[in-house]
Amino acid sequence: MNRWHFCRTVGLIAIAACCCLSALAADSSPQAVLNTTKTGPRAMEELTDKALLRDYTFAWASLEQALESNSTAPLNALFTGTASKWLNDAITTQRQSGVTSRYLNQNHKVEAVFYSPEGDVVEMHDTADYDLEILDGSKTIHNQHATVRYIVLMTPGADRWVIRQLQSVPEF
Amino acid sequence: MSARLVGLIGIVCLAGFALAQGGDIRVPTSAVAGQAATISAADSGTFYLLGPSVTLKKDVKSGEAIQLSAKELQSAGRYLVILCADSCRSAEFFVAPAKPVNITFLVHPSRAPVGLNNVISGVAMPFDEFHNFVATPEKVNFQLSAGGKTLMSHESPTQFGAAWFRASSGRTAGPLQIDASMNDVTARRIVQQVASEPCNLRIKGQRDAKGIVVETDPVRDCAGNPVPDGTIVTFTAKDGKDTDTVDAPVKKGIARAQLTTAGPVVVSAASGVVMGNELRVQ
Repeated sequence: MNRWHFCRTVGLIAIAACCCLSALAADSSPQAVLNTTKTGPRAMEELTDKALLRDYTFAWASLEQALESNSTAPLNALFTGTASKWLNDAITTQRQSGVTSRYLNQNHKVEAVFYSPEGDVVEMHDTADYDLEILDGSKTIHNQHATVRYIVLMTPGADRWVIRQLQSVPEF
Repeated sequence: MSARLVGLIGIVCLAGFALAQGGDIRVPTSAVAGQAATISAADSGTFYLLGPSVTLKKDVKSGEAIQLSAKELQSAGRYLVILCADSCRSAEFFVAPAKPVNITFLVHPSRAPVGLNNVISGVAMPFDEFHNFVATPEKVNFQLSAGGKTLMSHESPTQFGAAWFRASSGRTAGPLQIDASMNDVTARRIVQQVASEPCNLRIKGQRDAKGIVVETDPVRDCAGNPVPDGTIVTFTAKDGKDTDTVDAPVKKGIARAQLTTAGPVVVSAASGVVMGNELRVQ
């Protein structure tokens, strides 16, 4: 009886721990919403809408990992052209300086403002909220809740939409 | 005397307010990509600059002007400045794109049949020399020309940094030149206009030792453009009981086929959605 009660207690604790870990993992990934109601001149297809949101959110998760680890490996071919070059340069110079940056608790409010007639380029405006933490080695030198506006250009790749330009602006 | 004292007190207060507002760091207020800038810091310490494509770290002395080179400020966007002495302070500034010198110009399709409405489209986006996207409104002129003649000229303002157009293809096959111009910058693309579907198919034929030789008149579309070589023409011969079919490609504008039938026969031809005349051969 005592052994059964002990096993049941351990099982319940394990289940609770798994739930907590899952909740934590879900909260740490970027959250994004995409508004395509004002997109033109081409109307956004439903599948394209979903794919864009999926790939853009994944790109930001990869960006976060890359800048935190100072490695380009997590970028997963989600960036190309100027966006890829800028990120690679940022990661290289961060590594050289001993600095890392963390983009935590990301929330992205994205609006697609331009979708070309042939569907080969999308421009989006992202109002991004995140906690930005900059570290020099293990010392935190900057900690800020930031709201940053980005102009984003995405083009279709082989099997995903890729970010070609990710440019912050003071206002849209 | 009292007025001078009040003035001095006022200046001291303003200076303090400025220090409190901007902290110990004075950042550029109107930086442009590719132009050097200066940052001043009231304290000594470790200086950090984090930009879209650059991270700097160096030791600075109190009152020293921190020079940022043109290369370090090439990328437009948000720059974060951090100065750490006993504690860390930060400021931010934005670098704006320089003037546009490049146009990214996408045009579809690369080949278009003649005489189709709104079959050609294009998008133009301006960038500066450092590959920064210029989202400020600009005017883009789209011009379509073929055979030395301007077919269309249309000015379109950029909205959110993009300008676009739609146009119909012309009536004559050949290269269609499309220019997107902004100030003194031009991007050019070529769309090859090709013949549309065959039109007014006409055939003639005569008997020879092997059967019947049939051939078409020069195959053209409705605008008179010769269809490309390789376009398939299907010749059909019916003699009441049997039907004989031969596919023949257009070569130098004409499709020719040898039909091995004896006796009276009715020959017809078709290509795409067009059927030609019938030929009765005895």
